[in-house]
Amino acid sequence: MITYSQQKLTIMRKLFLLLPLLLLAMFSFAQQKSLTGTVVNKNTNEPLAGVTVQGKNAMAVTDANGKFTIKVADGESLSFSFVGMNSIQVKVDKTSQNLKLALVPGENNLEQVVITGYTSEKKKDMIGAVTVVNVSEVKDIPQGNVMKSLAGRVPGLNISQDGSPNGAVGVMMRGITTLNSNNPLYIIDGIPTERGLQEINQNDIESIQVLRDASAASIYGSRAAAGVIIITTKTGKKGKTRIDFDASTSLQYFNSLPPTLNTVDHGKAYWQAAVNDGQDPNLNGIYTYTWNNNFTSPSLSAVNIPKYVDAAQTMLSANTNWYKEISQTSFLQAYNLSMSSGGERGSYLFSIGFFDNNGIIKTTNDTKVTARFNSDFNFFNGRLKVGENLSVTYMNDVLLPVTPINGLPGYTGGSGLFQLAQISNPIIPVHTVTGGWGGPVAGMDDRQNPVRLIYDFNQNHNNFGRVFGNTYIDLAILHNLHFRSSVGVDLAGNYARLLQKPYVSGFLSSPITSAYQTADYEGTFSWHNTLTYDLNYKKNRFNFLLGEEQVKDANQNFNGYGQGLALADINYAYLSSTTSNILVAGGGSGDALLSYFGKINYSYDGKYLASVTLRDDGSSKFGVNNQWGQFPAFSLGWRASQEDFVRKALPIFSDLKLRYGWGQTGNQNIANNATQTLYQSIYGTDITWNFNQGTAYNISGSGTGTMPSGYTPIQQGNPNLKWETTTQSNIGIDFGLLNNKVFGSLDYFTKTTTDILIQPPYLAVLGQGGGTWYNGAKMRNKGFEGIVTYNAKVGKDLSLTFTGNVATYQNKVLYLPSSVLTAYAGNGTTQTVLGRSINSLYGYDVQGIFQNQAEVNSAPTQPGDGVGRIRYKDLNHDGVIDANDQRFLGKTDPDFTYGLNTSISYKNFDLSFFFQGIKGGLEYNNYKYLSDFTSLAPGSNWGPRTLQAWTPTNTKSTIPALTLTNANNEGRYSSYFLEKASYLKLRNIQLAYNLKNISSFKKMQRAKIYIQASNLLRFKNKSNPIADPENPADAYPIPVVITGGINLSF
Amino acid sequence: MKSIKYLAILFFSMLTVSCSKYLNETPQGVISSQDLETPTNTDAQVIACYSSLGNDHYYTPWSSMWAYGSIRSGDAYKGGGGPGDISDFNALEVFNQVNPTWGTIDQAWYQLYVGIAYCNSTLQLINGLTDAQYPNKVERTAEVRFLRGHFYFLLKIMFNRIPWIDETIAKANYGNISNTALTSDQLWTNIENDFGFAEANLPVTQSDLGRATKGAAQAYLAKALIYHAYTQDATYSVTGIDQTKMNRVNTLCDSVINSNVYSLMPDVADNFLPQFRNNAESVFSIQYSNNDGTVQGRLDAGHCLDYPMNVQYGCCGFHVPSNNLINAYKTDANGLPMFATFNNNDVVPSNDFQTNTFDPRLDHTCALPGHPYKYQTDLLYDGSWARQPQSYGYNLSLKEVVNYRDPSFTRFAPFMSSSKNWPIIRYAEVLLWKAEALIQIGQQAKALPLINQIRQRAANSTSLLVMANGRPTSNYKIGTYQDGVNCSWTQAYALQALQFERRLEFAMEGYRYFDLVRWGIAGSYLNSYFAVEATRTPHLVGASFTPHRDEYLPISQNQINFSKGVYQQNPGW
Repeated sequence: MITYSQQKLTIMRKLFLLLPLLLLAMFSFAQQKSLTGTVVNKNTNEPLAGVTVQGKNAMAVTDANGKFTIKVADGESLSFSFVGMNSIQVKVDKTSQNLKLALVPGENNLEQVVITGYTSEKKKDMIGAVTVVNVSEVKDIPQGNVMKSLAGRVPGLNISQDGSPNGAVGVMMRGITTLNSNNPLYIIDGIPTERGLQEINQNDIESIQVLRDASAASIYGSRAAAGVIIITTKTGKKGKTRIDFDASTSLQYFNSLPPTLNTVDHGKAYWQAAVNDGQDPNLNGIYTYTWNNNFTSPSLSAVNIPKYVDAAQTMLSANTNWYKEISQTSFLQAYNLSMSSGGERGSYLFSIGFFDNNGIIKTTNDTKVTARFNSDFNFFNGRLKVGENLSVTYMNDVLLPVTPINGLPGYTGGSGLFQLAQISNPIIPVHTVTGGWGGPVAGMDDRQNPVRLIYDFNQNHNNFGRVFGNTYIDLAILHNLHFRSSVGVDLAGNYARLLQKPYVSGFLSSPITSAYQTADYEGTFSWHNTLTYDLNYKKNRFNFLLGEEQVKDANQNFNGYGQGLALADINYAYLSSTTSNILVAGGGSGDALLSYFGKINYSYDGKYLASVTLRDDGSSKFGVNNQWGQFPAFSLGWRASQEDFVRKALPIFSDLKLRYGWGQTGNQNIANNATQTLYQSIYGTDITWNFNQGTAYNISGSGTGTMPSGYTPIQQGNPNLKWETTTQSNIGIDFGLLNNKVFGSLDYFTKTTTDILIQPPYLAVLGQGGGTWYNGAKMRNKGFEGIVTYNAKVGKDLSLTFTGNVATYQNKVLYLPSSVLTAYAGNGTTQTVLGRSINSLYGYDVQGIFQNQAEVNSAPTQPGDGVGRIRYKDLNHDGVIDANDQRFLGKTDPDFTYGLNTSISYKNFDLSFFFQGIKGGLEYNNYKYLSDFTSLAPGSNWGPRTLQAWTPTNTKSTIPALTLTNANNEGRYSSYFLEKASYLKLRNIQLAYNLKNISSFKKMQRAKIYIQASNLLRFKNKSNPIADPENPADAYPIPVVITGGINLSF
Repeated sequence: MKSIKYLAILFFSMLTVSCSKYLNETPQGVISSQDLETPTNTDAQVIACYSSLGNDHYYTPWSSMWAYGSIRSGDAYKGGGGPGDISDFNALEVFNQVNPTWGTIDQAWYQLYVGIAYCNSTLQLINGLTDAQYPNKVERTAEVRFLRGHFYFLLKIMFNRIPWIDETIAKANYGNISNTALTSDQLWTNIENDFGFAEANLPVTQSDLGRATKGAAQAYLAKALIYHAYTQDATYSVTGIDQTKMNRVNTLCDSVINSNVYSLMPDVADNFLPQFRNNAESVFSIQYSNNDGTVQGRLDAGHCLDYPMNVQYGCCGFHVPSNNLINAYKTDANGLPMFATFNNNDVVPSNDFQTNTFDPRLDHTCALPGHPYKYQTDLLYDGSWARQPQSYGYNLSLKEVVNYRDPSFTRFAPFMSSSKNWPIIRYAEVLLWKAEALIQIGQQAKALPLINQIRQRAANSTSLLVMANGRPTSNYKIGTYQDGVNCSWTQAYALQALQFERRLEFAMEGYRYFDLVRWGIAGSYLNSYFAVEATRTPHLVGASFTPHRDEYLPISQNQINFSKGVYQQNPGW
């Protein structure tokens, strides 16, 4: 037992021992000075509160304004560290005073908080395959849809896009998951939506997380099979009031237009085709030829072009480049202003964005105005938080038939503008001599003058509005028990009015002046309630989540059409102004989802991690028997780098985590009432391109007036329909090497989708509406994804970051009902897509071109063969080329996709460039119909490759001899049309200069100017004649976008 | 802690919202099959059956049959923008490129079965009602069976071996019904039973002019029987002529004739002019309409490609009469057709319609350069309106088109068509079926006046065939057959005259090819046609008809696959 005096003695001893140290400290004090400074976030220039400043003997923490004061001695080093930022060291010298420091956010910030489905967790604890997108890399790219910029940046995420100003894209995660919609589910501030991100202002986005595997996504259950992308929008930050202003202007132009023939060359190609056929080339409505009239050794001396194209002499022969006529170099502008403020009691952010994209097709335009108001307020000392996120979007698009629009009254051209520019003959003038519209004459295709379509349609606009947001409360019942309830609405509405003007354009004409008005509304109401409970017991940490969610969708649409407008003026073109053929239509539908879910995260000592999820989803789309689906998941992780023995054995690893996850997700993406047999009252449908599916009949025989009608069957019900289920396993490693200078992750996954919902083509005897939804197919994807980043700092001012990623997957169809096999590649019987990729290509194998009659004679019987014609391979060696001589020619799946991003930062300059590419895979070259043949579309314009076609004197050519009659059926699906799809693109290059340090304006927290270019360079396989392999046939070409912009913050 | 309890209770009560109710979504804007089981809705479904008659499309023109029966017969070329423009039709024309995997074959089959499915489901609805509930029960049944007979008739002449589905078969069993379950003879019998029931139960006239009548059913039954009467073996060779059936054809035609409801119109043109819809010659026609509340009108979409490429019209130059057909309208010194020699001298290149003599039906049927287009003396058909003269020459077809100023003419860019009715059976055909039956039962003398009746009407049909100055468009000379005077009316001669007369009268109306198959002469006729015609037009080089295969279309490969092998492909494909 220690006595009081003993105790006293012990203290005294310790004091004595400490005395020298205290003295030393006092002595040091004498030589130290008090240093002040400010720490900011380098990217945002926001002051950083709470940064730890560690000196040799002293420590300080920055205040709300990022300011600190610390006693230091000259020559001493200070280290600045903050969660989420790369630490820096600064040596103090005599001149040091009022330091200004900027911390760079760490790329592999293990403390970073990641939203992973109703809850959040730190990155170091995550055991799902989740990619956190570096939003700052893409925020200034003015694509109108942030997803476009993600192409190649997230391994396993495939973005298919074209250049249309509206910004819609296709997004596919980890290969094709289902035969239905492969669009991922977006969770924006907790609200699920399947609408694309073009309607969200990309400047409002704080973070994007891509949940790639099921263990991460299955908390979203029924709609998560194709992946989940979680978007969080910005909120006000604690601290000062802040104003951000971003502005950019871009110039856009094409660098990928397919070439077409000019008037003379088109005439030459026609002459060659006619001469090859042994036919008088002068037997055509337009060209006359001066040639030697010798079919055995023909030679052309002149292509004579008539003065007028038409007999009525209204159209002077022209040499129109239709692509030039419809396109323009255009401007794109984006402005964004946001104001935010935050304090103890709450915070708010208000932003307004304006985006105006003049497309590269003349008069196309997308104008978008977005406004956002996010706020939250604290009560009861922060125990209750109430907040809301609200965004309002308005978009206005010029309604041009850029891509084919069939079935839209008022537009019945049958082709999109780019197709029309390709097809239209160069000899047609844009205008007639009297200023009317040029157009096709006999001998040409019945297709519209694309310039006329632009100017006859550009008064028509689509107006889109969307209100999207939620309000929530978060109540801390105990400090570790939270109840959160969030109500979300997503209301979207479209309104359009179209005027169709009367026209005469060559032999095409219409006297009709019509108006078409359409409106549709769709709304989603969602409500979710969650309870979260955190429990720490010794080294055990638990997070519990229990939740319930209900979602209701409803939509309605109506439209009206009428003819007989007295004025062809958009300001007059309302339905009430129409006088004849007045038609109305309208419809609606709805569906509902009800879900319960729970999740337990567990970690022991930060080393052993585990998670279990269960979601139970009920959907109105399924019959009572199978309404509910269960989607379980679990995952396990081991942070090996936390183990002493690993640290000792593998000191190179600063971080090492192994993880495994398994889970199931669902899909319910089918027609709303697929379980029921239904009829609809369809009076009549547009007959331009399809047969009338209506049931009205002029039974009275009068030939006009309202008719009796019946009901059209639309589907056969299947009461046994159930959820489609995707089961995914993922094994992954996250690693950091050399103090996280190098870090990355590798993932291997298998994803099997069973009970895929299909509506197969059916036996004709079932008649109209014989389609039935079944749970029919089974498909598997296996793949690998890797991403690695290297951060380097060279000297004081230069820092480099390289990020590379690669992804690959293999698709295999495991089961399809035999009745639907013909709907996919193969012959449906002996050669099927089973065991192959769903993206397999099947057709004839081309064996070159017949060089002489002897080759033709000795070859297997091939109807339509001849010298100069394509020779097909007799695959079954039966001496006849027929349908049995087809094989699997390959697949469109690439071998792998990859992306490489480089950022170089030197003093105030930042340079970054990003390459993205795919390697391997084939694509079907639709354009070859026109570029290589004069027979497949004889009334169209063709490509210059036709001039290099095979002739008896040009036998090296791989392009078959020109002909006007496609007797050899060369348009058949064959290897001739398949191209190697590989490409590498410089997606984006950006140079930025930080003006902040040269600015004398003190309130300026951030000032950056930049110039950047998107889609500037493209490398592709030499043999591939497709201008842009990313965007092969008939779509809106992807433009080059060159942007200059500025970011300012006060 | 109390508040937590309350909150927990509140929360869990939220979780237990009545889930079944929440997920109940009533289908919107649709009705179930049970809802149709009322007399009113059943009557509406009868209309739906009729609507299938005209719900064809240019890609599958079964109402007009031109792509199946006209361009395959030597009467017409496909036309349009070269052989690649709807290449499936080009294959039909040249025969040796037809492929069972083609969409047009599949779609025609599908859409005809759409009509049949409407009929079967409507018959089920009718059978579910009592006579008291539905006083029209028998008559409506007869109408629907008439329509079903029509759709099956078309399938039969196109595909030969077809699955027979009627209202007694449950939908679940459709997949088990093979196209070879019934013999050709049994299929014909079933079709005849449908028309027979209709014939027995339909009224002589209908106040709704579009509805089938007793006369229509009698005529259609005669039509089915006259096909059935030429007995075919497995290789489609005609092995005999069933005299009993021919006698029945004769009797049925008599019933139609003696009903005194029908008569020949004074001018053959009247059958193809919109102002004469549902005229006395129309036994059964498809009722088209415009300004009827549909987007473009219920137009004759099957013919929408057949207009010329000029400003008044604009598209698409399909369905071009062959040189052979134009030559067939030449007449000899007696005004009679030149059975053997008409094609020796090709009149088309010389455009000489003034020194040769012609049957007036030439200018009712064919649009020729320099001649008024559809009787419009101010709109002379011009060679520059031809779509692809290097492939198909300069001519076009006339019966299906209308004057561009006519109210029935309607554009739906790039296409156009009219709401003019299209005849399925016109009275002239009843007369010639009777003539054919009489000839085949050896009573050719009785056939002579029937054929002459048709020729006399043709001779009278010249008033519209004039230029602006009143001069006849071509040099017309047409005479009747006079036994012992200008011909010797033997059975063989009479048959030749009958076959030629059918060609001249019904050219471009869509059924010529099926006549050739029925008579057992398709192979020889077409291959000799190709031999000469290929020297006139390049697109026929290499065309050839494979006898014992090409008489019928192949069964769509899709349907064979969907049937999981229950359907059998036709021989030779």
